[in-house]
Formats: sequence, structure tokens, C-alpha cells
Amino acid sequence: MAPKSSAPTQQTTAIQTLWKAYNEQTSDRLKFIDAFLFFLMLSGIVQFLYCILVTNFPFNAFLAGFSSTVGQFVLTASLRSQVNPENKNEFKEVSPERAFADFALGSIVLHFFVYNFLG
Amino acid sequence: MFSLIHLLLLAVSAQASLLTLQSPRFSVSDPTGTQIRSEPVSLVQKSSTPVNLTANNVLKLTFQVVDKETGKGVQPHQTFLRFYDEQSGEEGIQPVRVTPGGKAKFELNLARPPLSLPPTTDAPLKVSLIIGSSQYSPLSAELFDLILPLSHPAPVHPDEASFHVLPEIKHTFRPEQKLPPRVISAFFAGLVVAPWAVLLGLWSQISPRAPHLFSPSILPFVLSLGAFEGLLFWYWVDLKLGQVLLYGTILGVFTIFTGKQALASIGNRRLNRK
Repeated sequence: MAPKSSAPTQQTTAIQTLWKAYNEQTSDRLKFIDAFLFFLMLSGIVQFLYCILVTNFPFNAFLAGFSSTVGQFVLTASLRSQVNPENKNEFKEVSPERAFADFALGSIVLHFFVYNFLG
Repeated sequence: MFSLIHLLLLAVSAQASLLTLQSPRFSVSDPTGTQIRSEPVSLVQKSSTPVNLTANNVLKLTFQVVDKETGKGVQPHQTFLRFYDEQSGEEGIQPVRVTPGGKAKFELNLARPPLSLPPTTDAPLKVSLIIGSSQYSPLSAELFDLILPLSHPAPVHPDEASFHVLPEIKHTFRPEQKLPPRVISAFFAGLVVAPWAVLLGLWSQISPRAPHLFSPSILPFVLSLGAFEGLLFWYWVDLKLGQVLLYGTILGVFTIFTGKQALASIGNRRLNRK
């Protein structure tokens, strides 16, 4: 790993190395899930900014939307960590299919509660 | 049967004995003892002039209750003096003690008035005598009118002040919350939708393969998941809670089967390849 440096002569910084390694070493499926995670994060941040900057008037709507992004992020992150082949030793008793089934069930329950609260 | 009893009672009362008063008399005297007014009382006709009592006067009423035919003294079961105010409708009942021989004496001393006197109004009190007995037919006679001095106002209860209507509560409410102006709303709506564009762009770049997505073992599962999402959206728009739970349970049972099938096939494929 290249040491962290800010000298202009070094072409690569640690972040660039990290990004390069990520791009090369992560499978497409995991990248697919990561894109979804990134999307969820952006969505949650934008909603939160709106609530702070403009108004929290339909407060239940804000809570429903924000918690939907946060909850979905948690579920997807756990799916990603359980499905990753490199983590197989951590999750011996949970097969990737079981992880996906849990993810699906959790998502549906989350969506139900969010729709309930959305009003 | 009922009317027969009525007839019997009527017959009995027609035969019942009558009571009368012997030498009924009332007198008004002042504290020193001198008599201001003294008259006999008639049962048939009310006394024409009302009795005027001023403070400290004493009204005495004496009579003897006798059987009309035999003239013997009778002690009736109930002997009352009724003070009735026509204007206010109040009445006071004062029992009169009668000796076994039938003699009765009633004294009204305004220095210590009986509690049963109603408060004084402009109209005079009608005083009547009511006698009840089980062996004789009842007797009720108006004796005279009574004019009393003004009564004191009723004493105020110490807790009186707390038994009145409290002032009406005027609630103040927070002003209604308003939506922000449409421009800002539209701008932020666009901003919130923007991450979807980011997601679609990223996904198009990555585009992982799903080779067996539409195979018959997996497709039903995907479709039932999609159906769940559709059901929830329908619930948001239209359905009630009970309905969505019912449909969700049915769909859930279906999804369990398709899911088992789909995930088992994927797992087998993964393990076989490994």
C-alpha cells in the first residue's frame, strides 16, 4: 500500500488506491448492492436537509421517508455482508439464499410500516 | 275485583267517625304578657282579618280534639299546622303535640321561630290545621292568614364561593402550519428524485448479469415480491388495514412456496458449481 502523502510528485494518494482496489476487486454483484447503498444514503441526506432547511411540516411524512432510507440501508448492508463470499467464515450457518430471504422479508415489513406512517 | 275494594273503602269511610275541635282559640300577646288579640277559630270559615305578628310577639293556639258524636277527647296520630306561602310556593309543616285526652297547645314565639317557617314574602302565610287518624276521617281546615316580619337572609355557607361557574376557558391554538412556496417545494422535490437518477446511472454502468432471472423456478418468486410491493402501494392509496393484512397473508403463503423453490434452485446451482 502506498503511504499517505500530499507531495505533488506522487501520482496516487491513498484514496485513489483504495478506489482502484475497490473497483478491481469487488464483484459486480457487490458493486450493484453498493450502488443501491449509495443511493439510499444520498436520498436520506437530501430528505434530512429539506427537513432542516425548509420545513418539517408534514412531520410524519418526513419520518416515514427518512426512516425508510435508513431502514433499507441497514437491511441492504447486512445482506451485503452476509452474501459476500469473503465473509463465508463469519456466517457459517447463514447461506446467501437465507440472507436474501431475510432481506426480502425485512424489506417488505419495513415498507408496510413506512406506507402506514406515510399517510 | 279492584273496583270492589274501592266500593268497600268508600262504604267504610262513609261510616267512619268524624273529628271536630272543641273550643279552638288563638291569641296574640306581646312579651310582657298583655293580649293584643284573642279570638275563637272556626273550622268552617277562615278568619277574615289576617293575624299580624311583629317581632317578639307570641301566637298561641289552643284546642281540644274530640269525637264529633260522643264528645270524648281523641289523640289523633298526626296533627300538623301547615304554613303555606302562595307566592313562593313554600310550605312549612309544624307538628303539634296532642295529649292523650286530645288537648293541644301550640306556641309560636318570634324570638325563637320554628325552623319550618318558610321565608317571608309579600303574600301572607296561609295557616291550616291538618289532622290524620286511622280511625277517623281526616280533617283539614284553613284557620287564618299570618303576616310575619321579614326573615333574615339565609346564612351563607363558608364554601359558597367555590360553587359558582368558573370563567370560560378561551383556548388559544397554534396557527396552522403552512406549506412552503411551490417553487421551493418543486426544487426540493427534484432534488429528492435526483438520487434515483444517480442509482440508475450507476446500475447501468455496473449491470451485473442475472442469467436465470426469468427461468420458471425463479420468476414466480420475483413476481410475488413485486406483487407484495404492489399490494403495499395499493394499501397506501386505497385499502384498509384489515384488507391488506388479509391479502398479505395469502400472498405471503404463496411467496413462501415460490421463494423456497427459487432459492433452493439458486443454492443448488451455487453448490453444484462450487
